[in-house]
Amino acid sequence: MATDVRKTDKDLYKRDEIAINPPVDIYETDDEYVLKTDIPGVTRESLAIMLKDNELEISGSVDENLRGHENRTYAEYTLHDYLRRFTVGDGVDGAGITAKLENGVLTLVLPKSDRVKPRKIEIKVEA
Amino acid sequence: MYTTYDIFEEVLDLRNIIDRFFNEVPYQRRRVDYPFVNLYERGDELEVRVMAPGVRPESLNLQLIDDSLIIEGEKKEDYADKPYIRRERAFGNFQKAVKLPFRVNPDSIKAIMRDGILTVKLARSEEAKPRKIEIK
Repeated sequence: MATDVRKTDKDLYKRDEIAINPPVDIYETDDEYVLKTDIPGVTRESLAIMLKDNELEISGSVDENLRGHENRTYAEYTLHDYLRRFTVGDGVDGAGITAKLENGVLTLVLPKSDRVKPRKIEIKVEA
Repeated sequence: MYTTYDIFEEVLDLRNIIDRFFNEVPYQRRRVDYPFVNLYERGDELEVRVMAPGVRPESLNLQLIDDSLIIEGEKKEDYADKPYIRRERAFGNFQKAVKLPFRVNPDSIKAIMRDGILTVKLARSEEAKPRKIEIK
């Protein structure tokens, strides 16, 4: 039992099991949040976007062919799976999220829920 | 089965971590120009895989000079004129020369951009192939 614990502890350092936090840009418009992230090597099929309990999770796995070391003679990078989580609160309309993956860049559009959208306040002028 | 705590084992773990730090130097800690490049070799075939997310094929320029592959291009910024909550991605122009392990046949070069990774396939040139020398 005790040795088992120690073993899993050591596995934490195994490089193959590491997931990388990809760099992210997020900006805000009146109606939505737009998120862009660089995830080279991830295909549409291997990408998963989940919104659960006010937490947005982006995870992508990289194909073994791209990650593998076979025949590699020189390396400046190694690809790993990607994982990034954000707390979005209840300000996002989960049903309306759209995603686009282009050239290794994921663009997520998260529409704001009506509750947090800016509202124009009518000013009535009393005569 | 009992396993007692052994402080020396912890010390050995620490030594392994330090060893790994110095042996497996990842690219981040080396001074390497953007974009990052991996080379794969199989027989007479060579593959250069360049990590270039967000770089459009039309803003990339590949050139073969002697036995070097020149990768030139621009990762165009895609900023919107809006308030940013986070800004972590990097953009800019780049130029990099990759020295190939052997001379390649310029007609054999094929380049594909897929999922942010540029793959350039090259083949060894006839002159660079080993030749048997007849002894008379």
